[in-house]
Amino acid sequence: MPPHIDLPQGTLDLLILRTLAVGPQHGWAISERVQQVSDEVLRIQQGSLYPALHRLERRGWIKARWGTSDNNRRAKYYELTKAGHKQLATEQDAWEALTAAVAQVLKAV
Amino acid sequence: MLSDLRIRFRSLFRRGRVEQELDDELRFHMEQQAGKYLRAGLSKEEAQRRVRLEFGGAEQVKEDCRDARGVSFLESLGHDLRYALRMLRKSPVFTAVVIITLALGIGANTAIFTLVNAVMLRSLPVHDPQQLVVAQWTAHHAGRHLGESSFGDCGSGPDSGTTVSGCALSYSFFQEIQNQKSVFSSVTAFAGTIPLNLSGNGTAVIAQGEIVSGSFFHTFGVNAALGRVFDSSDDQPGSHAVAVLNYAYWQRAFGGSPSAIGRTIRLNNLIFTIIGVADPGFTRLTPGKSVDLWIPIAQGSASGQPWVNTSDANNFWLVVVGRLLPGVSRAQAQSLLDTLFVNASTQGAKPIWIAADQPQLALLPAQEGLAGIRDMFGKPLLLLMATVGLVLLVACANVAGLTLARAAAREREMAVRLAVGAARRRILRQLLTESLLLSFLGAAFGVVLAWFGASGVEAFLSASSGMPIQLDVHLDWHVLLFGVAAAILTGIAFGLAPAFRGARTGVTAQLKGTTITAAAGRGRGRRFGLGSGLVVLQVAISMVVLTGAGLLLRTLDKLRSIDPGFDTRNLLLFTIDPELAGYKDAQILDLYGNVQKKIAALPGVTHVSYSSLALLDGGLWSGDMNLEGRADKHPFGVQMLSVGPDYFATMKIPLLQGRTLIASDAKGPKAAVVNHAFVEKFMAGRSPLGLHFGNGDSKPDTEIVGVVGDTHYADLSSPEAPTCFLLLNGGGATFEVRTAVAPSSLVAAVRDAVNGIDANIPVMYLRTQSDSIDRLLFSQRLLAQLFGIFGVLGLLLACIGLYGLLSYEVERRTREIGIRTALGAQRSAIWSMVVFHGIVLVAVGAFVGWGAAFGVTRLLTSMLYNVRPTDPLTFGLTAGLLLAVGILACSLPARRATRVDPMTALRCE
Repeated sequence: MPPHIDLPQGTLDLLILRTLAVGPQHGWAISERVQQVSDEVLRIQQGSLYPALHRLERRGWIKARWGTSDNNRRAKYYELTKAGHKQLATEQDAWEALTAAVAQVLKAV
Repeated sequence: MLSDLRIRFRSLFRRGRVEQELDDELRFHMEQQAGKYLRAGLSKEEAQRRVRLEFGGAEQVKEDCRDARGVSFLESLGHDLRYALRMLRKSPVFTAVVIITLALGIGANTAIFTLVNAVMLRSLPVHDPQQLVVAQWTAHHAGRHLGESSFGDCGSGPDSGTTVSGCALSYSFFQEIQNQKSVFSSVTAFAGTIPLNLSGNGTAVIAQGEIVSGSFFHTFGVNAALGRVFDSSDDQPGSHAVAVLNYAYWQRAFGGSPSAIGRTIRLNNLIFTIIGVADPGFTRLTPGKSVDLWIPIAQGSASGQPWVNTSDANNFWLVVVGRLLPGVSRAQAQSLLDTLFVNASTQGAKPIWIAADQPQLALLPAQEGLAGIRDMFGKPLLLLMATVGLVLLVACANVAGLTLARAAAREREMAVRLAVGAARRRILRQLLTESLLLSFLGAAFGVVLAWFGASGVEAFLSASSGMPIQLDVHLDWHVLLFGVAAAILTGIAFGLAPAFRGARTGVTAQLKGTTITAAAGRGRGRRFGLGSGLVVLQVAISMVVLTGAGLLLRTLDKLRSIDPGFDTRNLLLFTIDPELAGYKDAQILDLYGNVQKKIAALPGVTHVSYSSLALLDGGLWSGDMNLEGRADKHPFGVQMLSVGPDYFATMKIPLLQGRTLIASDAKGPKAAVVNHAFVEKFMAGRSPLGLHFGNGDSKPDTEIVGVVGDTHYADLSSPEAPTCFLLLNGGGATFEVRTAVAPSSLVAAVRDAVNGIDANIPVMYLRTQSDSIDRLLFSQRLLAQLFGIFGVLGLLLACIGLYGLLSYEVERRTREIGIRTALGAQRSAIWSMVVFHGIVLVAVGAFVGWGAAFGVTRLLTSMLYNVRPTDPLTFGLTAGLLLAVGILACSLPARRATRVDPMTALRCE
């Protein structure tokens, strides 16, 4: 198992929004997907995933509905709202600007 | 943020469902995770163990989710309230004392605010009152050839040394305004109220009538509750005489019977038909004025008043109110009317002003212009409002003191809560919730108290102001809003300090069980300081309020001890006006003679006389006079009074020179009597007997035949002025009945005697002379009584506060006192130790209050008579009273301290 990195403050929301941009998902699938896509580097703590989902729902960026999972179980699916798409774009831009700037500084000095 | 609200509401009202969903969601996650580990080859137990490990505390996650959904505020408010209720139920004495204290404080404030609201804030109960304007004129000099009265509808206006003002106008000018259709949609004029002799509905009574134009109800947008209101056809010369009743009067005098419509009644012996009852919501126009019925201007002559005159342009008697057309500004209408007014009043046959007097007409919003009693009560009411505000402050300080002592007792509870992980913020909120709950409970009782209080003050106003004063003191949203605001402010004011203390509790010291030592060591100085500070504050404020009450009481006392110049005891007064029943000149004097004889024959009556007005009864007649033998030929003004025979003997006014007036003077040459002040001022002490005078511009034809002692006439506080007494020769009169028994016991006999002579003459205003004087003094009495009540209330609260603080101190120091006693301290030493502590607080408070009172009592100056705002006697007595009551409040806890048994005290540790 490769060493995993703790998520920097504020990136959890971005990861959730980005993951949901592909399509509706339940909580467990979101954490699995982030782990997979990042080659097991990024791991979302369950203790912070669910509060984050509920927070995003309250802000109106994602909405929830109950559906049926692949293994035929009742699961709560989250999907992006219009406002969520906008928020994702803003946060993604901000993140890219930040990482580019940080990289530039690291290279230059 | 719609989603935000939706989620919050859902969390609040569908809590069970939301919790269930959260459970399901998390369980699903754990099952999925466990399934993944199973597939990776772990055993079932191992998989579940790892899931639980990874997940951490499921409860913690749920709590975080609840927080994230933003439910916790409302949810925990519910918890806080339930907990607060439980805590309050656990200490019923504390709860009761706090609620009573707050109810008294908030109740007093709400009561006075109800009055302020009724007199100053409440808007006119008519349709769209903001469109209504009232005309007010100003000029640099009093008008010539001008009669003017607005019956107290307007305030005194901007009268000053160089400006006079008024809001009554002539009938012709009202018509001119009515023609300004470009600015007004409707204009009305009204005058009154005037007492009307109403017969044909049981015994003759006096009804207060207002004379109004046909457009009156239309302009105000007031409809009929029954029948119809006036229209312009009712106000034409020669139209049928009709009247509209006030709803409350209809209820009162006609029992609310629908058959009243269409009935005929007699007003001053003229026949009127009742055509309708006005809407019950139309209770008043001018604050404080009550109207029983309305009659059109065309029937105004029924009033029997000479000034009800539609042809004389120099007779200003109608208050004019117009409703502006939509889109027309007040300034626009004003500039139009101003030009008209200047022309009308400076030109014509008898111009009222010259251009140099700069007469002007302004339009005021009706709400502001129709001031009525607002002028008279505005300032006293604001002063009272400030005073009850201070009382509420005392109540807050008091409750803060109690809560503080209780917070100290609850430190251990707070420590436990902190130790198990409660945020200090939550504890702060819990404590604030408790104090707000208390203050709302207090406010609820307070509003009930306020309702009784305000009704009581209204009754007092009506009973003692000499005129029927009507105020809407019912609760409206203004008052309720005020109550809620007062509750929130007080809750925060008294709850904040104890709440912060509670949240600051040190956990370790408390839980180690070293509470007493900890409190004594650490908390002593600080808590002692805050609690004592609160007591000092209470004493200081009480001192200020009591000093104000003292000054007003001294004023009342000084006013009451003024010698009025006649004997005011055992004197019964009543008024009759036979002209209203159709009597003429000589008949009137015959009637008065008969009444005089018949009442004099009653047992218990020693003398009877009558006069045009009664002394010290609110009325005053003054006129011009030119006197023989004076170097200065200009007429001068004196007070005048027409009296009947035997007047001076009845009033016990001493005769100083010459003779008094007798019945035969009516037939012979005109005779008059003057008072001592007249001789002093105009005769330089020489005898005036035999001199003649005229009424300003006529030939001197009245001989001065006697000099009598000085009396006060219009009021008590102004000095005795030159007065001339003439023989009464007509018009209404007030009878003075001198009795040997209690005057009130003769009321029925006197009424029967007058009714026995002519049942169509109503006996008006039966009162004793002392009642009249009380009415003259009523604003001083009202203020002194209310200040007194609030002062005593403040003092009582301060004493409770002092008592509470010392009791708490004694309890806290039980161990120390026990040790002292064990070591041989005398009981008297313990007693004085506690009392001394209290006395110091009272003394400091009294000193601070003394300084504050010194600064603020000058606000009362205009309400004082012969008492300086810094009257040393009042200040001294108030401080003495405070100290005496303070010692009393200290002595109870002190006694308890002397009873401390050293063995028990030492063992309790």
